[in-house]
Amino acid sequence: MLTNYQTGVYFDEMMKQGGEPKKHYQWFYQLVNQFTERDLMKKHETAQLNFLRQGITFTVYNHTGGTERTMPFDFVPIIIPRQDWEEIEKGMKQRMTALNNFLEDIYHDQEIVEAGVIPRELIENNPYYYNKQVSGIDIPLRNHIFLAGVDLIRDEKGQYRVLEDNLRNPSGMSYVFQNRYVMRQVYPELFFQHSIETLEHQLSELHQAVTSHLPANANPHKSPTAVLLTPGIYNSAYYDHVFLAQQMGIELVEGRDMIVKDDVVYMKTIKGLKRVDIIYRRIDDDFLDPEAFRPDSALGVPGLLRAYRKGNVSILNGIGNGVADDKAMYVYVPDMIRFYLGEDPIIPNVETYFLSDPERLDYVLDHIHELVVKNVGASGGYDMLIGPQSDESEREAFKKKIIENPHQYIAQPTIKLSRAPAYQEGRFYPCHVDLRVFVMNGEKTNVLPGGLSRVALKEGSLVVNSSQGGGGKDTWILTESGDQHA
Amino acid sequence: MVINMLSRVADSLYWMSRNIERAENNARVLSVQLIHMLEAQNQEAADRDWEEIVEVCASAKDYYNLYDRLDRETLIQYLTISPFNVNSLMNSMNYARENARSTRDILPEELWEVLNAFHLDQKDWQELPNTRQHTQDYLAQVIKTSMTSQGVIESSMSRGTPYTFIKVGKWLERAEKTARILNVTCEKNRKEADIPTDHYYYWLTALQFLNGYDAYIKEHPPTMESKHVLSFLIKERTFPRSIRYCMDHVLEAVDKLEGGKISHYSEDLFQMLELIQEEITSTNIEEMDMNELMSFLDHFQDRCMTLSRMFSQTYYLIEPVHAK
Repeated sequence: MLTNYQTGVYFDEMMKQGGEPKKHYQWFYQLVNQFTERDLMKKHETAQLNFLRQGITFTVYNHTGGTERTMPFDFVPIIIPRQDWEEIEKGMKQRMTALNNFLEDIYHDQEIVEAGVIPRELIENNPYYYNKQVSGIDIPLRNHIFLAGVDLIRDEKGQYRVLEDNLRNPSGMSYVFQNRYVMRQVYPELFFQHSIETLEHQLSELHQAVTSHLPANANPHKSPTAVLLTPGIYNSAYYDHVFLAQQMGIELVEGRDMIVKDDVVYMKTIKGLKRVDIIYRRIDDDFLDPEAFRPDSALGVPGLLRAYRKGNVSILNGIGNGVADDKAMYVYVPDMIRFYLGEDPIIPNVETYFLSDPERLDYVLDHIHELVVKNVGASGGYDMLIGPQSDESEREAFKKKIIENPHQYIAQPTIKLSRAPAYQEGRFYPCHVDLRVFVMNGEKTNVLPGGLSRVALKEGSLVVNSSQGGGGKDTWILTESGDQHA
Repeated sequence: MVINMLSRVADSLYWMSRNIERAENNARVLSVQLIHMLEAQNQEAADRDWEEIVEVCASAKDYYNLYDRLDRETLIQYLTISPFNVNSLMNSMNYARENARSTRDILPEELWEVLNAFHLDQKDWQELPNTRQHTQDYLAQVIKTSMTSQGVIESSMSRGTPYTFIKVGKWLERAEKTARILNVTCEKNRKEADIPTDHYYYWLTALQFLNGYDAYIKEHPPTMESKHVLSFLIKERTFPRSIRYCMDHVLEAVDKLEGGKISHYSEDLFQMLELIQEEITSTNIEEMDMNELMSFLDHFQDRCMTLSRMFSQTYYLIEPVHAK
């Protein structure tokens, strides 16, 4: 199957340079070799159709309106040996603790600024810093980050690095479950020889994490009412919202389903109003409450912030997390880990240059063809330049943008993202991958075993975002016995 | 059992169900007409038939706002896949799917899949040439999708609040459609009372539109008297598309929803339901002439509108503003 497969200069998840599979992929390799070409094609088709029929889609918007699309699924899993995973898990817990300390700190005493570790203007000029709205509030469990989706990549040596901390509304968790479900349906043979971490208890862990955020004024004698707040069916991540609400057994609500009376939040039911205690919201801060943020928001609930400030309702993730996960603050996360925890980061960052530094700016302008330049406020693969894959006019256009607004951009060396085989259109070929790891925080921290492996299916492409042609893979963490097996 | 269901969700379930039922009924009417058309005696009669079909499946006024004259092919297009007709089959099925999509978390997975499968296939239908065979296949697919949906609902949903809202939507839609079809048929009968045409054929058509021919003929072999047909479609308590059957079941469902109790907020609704039931049972259909029947049916359709409004008010289903 993989006879002509070339690993090239990249780190490959599955294959060695000589064309042999790595140890933890040996079983998988042998099993796949037993499939005929026809089996593979047929299974591939069945898997894609499965997603379409179930309507597991996201919506892509362009000038002609929205189109529902499925995320292409690739059956070659990312297999992670136990030991590597334990390191990732530790690294994630460490990072979350530091980031949560940071958020608690900057909305209270700002010790990290006083100590001169992070420049004050970087925080105060940040558009996602909602000092006026939420500073000084004591939130339940003092936890700002109920759910994070941390994007990890591996460099050419196989070293894991954090690329982004998504601390606002990370999406994609439903795909982790659906990928596993489809995988078991369509490729049951592959599971016989592997012992992998199950995902079964993860949704009840998630539910527990939600309900542990009891607001200060909740009725202690009643179990709290939690809801998931969605912008509605036109949102690109709507399927994610449906899935999580359904699986956790909480109500899926829209802004118009709720009302605030005397600083208490209620939802409108057929038998009148019912009090809401905890809101897992999947809409952005600035749309939450037209009285406190954007007055034109029709998605939010007027008065929500007042209820939040009074301790009548919990909002997850916390308001104002955006200040901690933008691309400029990212550079300081290793410093946060040292400052708050007195530890060295377990999983390092990708080296990053600020362009507001004139010396750096000159360097970046000269070397733009070998760097990746990103807008600090953008996400989803938008407004970025991948130097080695750009042409002269794109580079010139970007240089102009950078010179006009150097604070708005950062640059990183083009990392040779690791690759893994993908099987599409009847053949195996190497594709770049990354891994979104989901970290749930409540009374305790729980890292979902595995996560969403995203793959850039366009050959040579480095962009894994689903809005730009990326696909998904199942991610297997081998259990202890599975490890011995492999 | 979900007791405190969100009003928006209840509203979506209600409209999902009405739209599925509407699509099935209209598809059946159109399908019957496409066959009858082949037997029409002359062009004039055929055109009159089509005019009635617009009245049953959409609104003639809306149609003539868009087109100057009644052209058969344009009309078929208008009733099946036109985006400009709010009651076209395509639109009804799309509304049903959108409503199902916004309530996916409480619907059986298979129900969503059935509606989604129709949607996925619809793209292919739009690209097929506009032949009679393709139209008939499309109509059959609409009917089958509706029936499969109902099968999923019946076989897998708990008999709780969401189920009740789905059923009430279906019965109200059905009762209204039956009244409308009979109204159009009576009108035609009255207009053509002096013309020596085959009135038998009108009542046969009405029964076929409502999928009641087989059931009727078992009760009344082999006659086709207008008063029997009317009585059957209005008052037969065992036929699931008669006005009476539908209204009895709405009352029963609301009663169950309220746990057999009448509260201050549901009092008006109960009174209206009982009044309608009384009006139906106390009316002697067989003794009425066409004018009386038409005013009875008009009155019933007004009642349906009032009822639909009261139902929405009682359960706060008033359509909230749409978020963008």
